[in-house]
Amino acid sequence: MSNAQIEIQLIACIVAIACAIPGTFLVLRKMAMISDAISHSILPGIVVGFFITQDLNSPLLILLAAFTGIITVVLVEYIQKTGLVKEDTAIGLVFPTLFSIGVILIAKNANDVHLDVDAVLLGELAFAPFDRLRISGVDVGPKSLWIIGSILLITLGLLIAFFKELKISTFDKGLAASLGFSPIIIHYGLMTVSSITTVGAFDAVGAILVVALMIAPAASAYLLTTDLKLMIIYSICFGVFSAISGYWLAHGLDASIAGSITTMLGILFLVIYLFAPNKGIIAILYREKQQRTEVSLLTFLLHLKNHKEIEERHVNHLNEHINWQKVRSKTVLDLALKNNMISIDKNIVSLTAKGDEFTSQAIDYIITNEDTQIEDMKDDFFLFRG
Amino acid sequence: MNKIAVKVDDLTVAYNYKPVLWDIDLEIPEGVLMAIVGPNGAGKSTLIKSILGILKPIAGSVSIYGKSYKKQRSLVAYVPQKGSVDWDFPTTALDVVMMGTYGSLGWIKRPGIKEKKSALEALEKVGMLPFKNRQISQLSGGQQQRIFLARALVQNASIYFMDEPFQGVDATTEIAIINILKELRKANKTVIVVHHDLQTVPEYFDWVTFLNVKKIATGPVKDIFNDDNLTKTYGINYKVSIQE
Repeated sequence: MSNAQIEIQLIACIVAIACAIPGTFLVLRKMAMISDAISHSILPGIVVGFFITQDLNSPLLILLAAFTGIITVVLVEYIQKTGLVKEDTAIGLVFPTLFSIGVILIAKNANDVHLDVDAVLLGELAFAPFDRLRISGVDVGPKSLWIIGSILLITLGLLIAFFKELKISTFDKGLAASLGFSPIIIHYGLMTVSSITTVGAFDAVGAILVVALMIAPAASAYLLTTDLKLMIIYSICFGVFSAISGYWLAHGLDASIAGSITTMLGILFLVIYLFAPNKGIIAILYREKQQRTEVSLLTFLLHLKNHKEIEERHVNHLNEHINWQKVRSKTVLDLALKNNMISIDKNIVSLTAKGDEFTSQAIDYIITNEDTQIEDMKDDFFLFRG
Repeated sequence: MNKIAVKVDDLTVAYNYKPVLWDIDLEIPEGVLMAIVGPNGAGKSTLIKSILGILKPIAGSVSIYGKSYKKQRSLVAYVPQKGSVDWDFPTTALDVVMMGTYGSLGWIKRPGIKEKKSALEALEKVGMLPFKNRQISQLSGGQQQRIFLARALVQNASIYFMDEPFQGVDATTEIAIINILKELRKANKTVIVVHHDLQTVPEYFDWVTFLNVKKIATGPVKDIFNDDNLTKTYGINYKVSIQE
């Protein structure tokens, strides 16, 4: 690997980490679309900042652009508060307006400005190593690495200091307010961090990929864990994984790095969406199938409990009596046998003591809806896991 | 008469310039178990949220033991409506209860062993200790409400505000919760509950406030829980048989 290759991957990874942290909270606050809005509407901020500073990497430009991000949030909330339109509509109104102002500003000044709409949307990671930061003549690495690195450090510092506050105000705004943790301060703090991160990452990866890096890793992590800290760690890992694998995908295909990273994020999410142990599609389908079988089992056990007559309990009669197809009857019989709930003697089915007790408990639960008595059954049966 | 725990003066609250609470005056004595009753949209939750500083009133003031809420935060615990939070949030029952300790910690400081211990004690009290590590979406409605109650208990407050703690809970949980509330009252705590089920008011509470945008009446259940006030509050000729 050449130095430039290492630097590109390093920048991509740090951008991914810096995005994953605010992204986790945006996803949990159901504000994913706000990151899209911010990433587009900072454009006029960047353009105006560029006119003033003539330097895409100037801290002043980053602050100006981040400020436009905050304005977006304020405008969206203001329009929404009037009650005339819903939040998604308000977002759809605000960011194209601001974005188009940026587009016009670029077009009007395109001749003497090194900034075009393509680069804004997609960024160009491949060029990032060319813009070097020199301190008294010594080359200390690519400028964008220093910028996004500083942003990441600030983000990490804030996350560690205010983790508790972020958690409580995200989970329960009302409690946070009553305990004196102003949810408004936390909200705008998060919006400021998201805006600054977006601007910092923007130059390297463009407006579209920033959104992908904020939302996709967090959405994937959400499907895998029930612990907020782990969710953040997973998001970071997924971001880094996509950044590196996306880089090599682009290398192999000779395609856009930003595009390849986004593709990897999409693939990663799809895989997790399908195969996640509890919340994945396949796990859900399996659970539903098990629940169906268990309802049948319960119906069957109840039938046995209610009928002492031998002809009602003959294996062959069960098909007709409870009106099931053969396959289903067999699945149910096997399941009951496996759990020692029935015994079959000369094709006559009887409830065992365990089966009898289970049936009473299950019926009790269904009638009274009391949950304490079935806690121990939850481990064995999907039916009671809600 | 006991000390006044909560005093509300001329409180008016509006959403989008439309008042939902008009000129409320209210004095809640220390050590009562009080129900706030009224029809939907009467402003019951709004009243609680305004007392707790979550909503800003357009007029009036609130005091907790004679001082502003901001100065008395540590004396007050709040149980929001169960539906006000996202139960799919990635966290455990124990972690939610720990949130009750955040107020005494203040900004930045993290909960430690002491906070965990009191959270576990609160879980024990509401009978939820076996579920401490369960993800909160895996709890039943009644269990979720108990977790919320435990979170308030952990604050070890003098005044408890609860927004419909009996909503969507099973009968066992309802009894468990009311027993804990009665215990709190015995310990001379003040408990204020937004309540929907008029039938259980005389059985559960000793104090009641009728609210419908304006305050209709407030006082001991045995004196003011009658057909006259119910009709004034609910607008129709309301009759309940009060169990003696």
